[in-house]
Amino acid sequence: MEPETKKLNLSVPLAIIVAGLFVASAIALTRSPAMFPTESKLKPITASDHILGNPDAPVKVIEFSDTECPFCKQFQATMHRIMNVYGKDGRVAWVYRQYPIAEIHPKALKEAEATECAGELGGNAAFWAYLDTIFEVTPSNDNLDPAELFTIAQTIGLDRLKFESCLASGKYTAHVAENIQEAISVGAEGTPWTIVVAANGKLYPLAGGQPYAAVKSLIDVALQQK
Amino acid sequence: MDILRNWRYVLVAITMSIAVFLLVLWFPNRVLLFSLWTDSSASLGDKVRLPVSLLSALGTNFSPLSAAYTVVIVALIGINTALIIYLLRARGAIAGGLFAGLSGMSSGILGVGCAACGSLILMWLLSVAGGVSVLSLLPLRGGEFGVLGVILLGYSTYILLKQVIRPPVCEIDTSNNSN
Repeated sequence: MEPETKKLNLSVPLAIIVAGLFVASAIALTRSPAMFPTESKLKPITASDHILGNPDAPVKVIEFSDTECPFCKQFQATMHRIMNVYGKDGRVAWVYRQYPIAEIHPKALKEAEATECAGELGGNAAFWAYLDTIFEVTPSNDNLDPAELFTIAQTIGLDRLKFESCLASGKYTAHVAENIQEAISVGAEGTPWTIVVAANGKLYPLAGGQPYAAVKSLIDVALQQK
Repeated sequence: MDILRNWRYVLVAITMSIAVFLLVLWFPNRVLLFSLWTDSSASLGDKVRLPVSLLSALGTNFSPLSAAYTVVIVALIGINTALIIYLLRARGAIAGGLFAGLSGMSSGILGVGCAACGSLILMWLLSVAGGVSVLSLLPLRGGEFGVLGVILLGYSTYILLKQVIRPPVCEIDTSNNSN
């Protein structure tokens, strides 16, 4: 009978695993604040937002992003491709909001403020030019040399001294913190976190740096909503 | 080996691997998919097109390392499941490898995906527990769970395969016959 005692009946552990999966699924579906994101949690799009494309477009893509996240870097190119297709005729607008994940990318906080300073000093075009350049230059994962922030400002034609002064003042620290709070409240679990807003106000949250085809499919769904 | 000649076990392995692969790729967007599938205004084409397009996220939402261990973990989970079912049906029980297998599956499921930028199971669990900053202390920023999953699942597969190959005999206990 000795070998029998060594044997292990699988029914109990398997039942535990199956039960665990059910419990985990239930928690995932009920605890996630993004289950049904509401407009009340998402701040309305205003003129103070960073908008690329037609501000009155029927579909708006609000992206919460982190300049040190490698997937945000890749997603930046995906969104530009989307804008080339849907932005030129004014069907889609891209709204950028800050969500630097300071716990894993501490440098991203200052970088987010730097993009805001670029916007203040050079307007909306400078904001997007600065953002594109920072994504282009950074090796991601918190590896950007902070000195590059000033070099980028000069490269896109901003006054370096004014830029340094803006960044040192910390005047956008609170704004970035507000963006982070908003991202968390709408259910962002990582970056990039995108919410596609249809003309009828319906929200479609999209997690991660998804491929072009996925973003395009979602925008096509949103465009059908009247 | 009998198990390789029986198409049902091969089917179990493939089905399990596909199921885990879909779970890994769709879990971050469970809210969106649930909302789309229950939306009466969305067409059947939309309901199929979006989830299918999300499958290529393996190339855009994963680092090369995480994509590699995700594929290996998914394959090993399928193989482990088929081996466990085979042993249960053929022998009625298994003698070992279960702990390594279950640990490997748990660790693997935790580690698969983009741990650095979140949005998968580990990041979700940590955000619920409020411990995201723990990841910054790890050299692979959570990828350790995936690597550990591969090691444990590999070990479990080895143990289970040894049992499958071993003929079903009544072993003689030699521990009391030292002289």
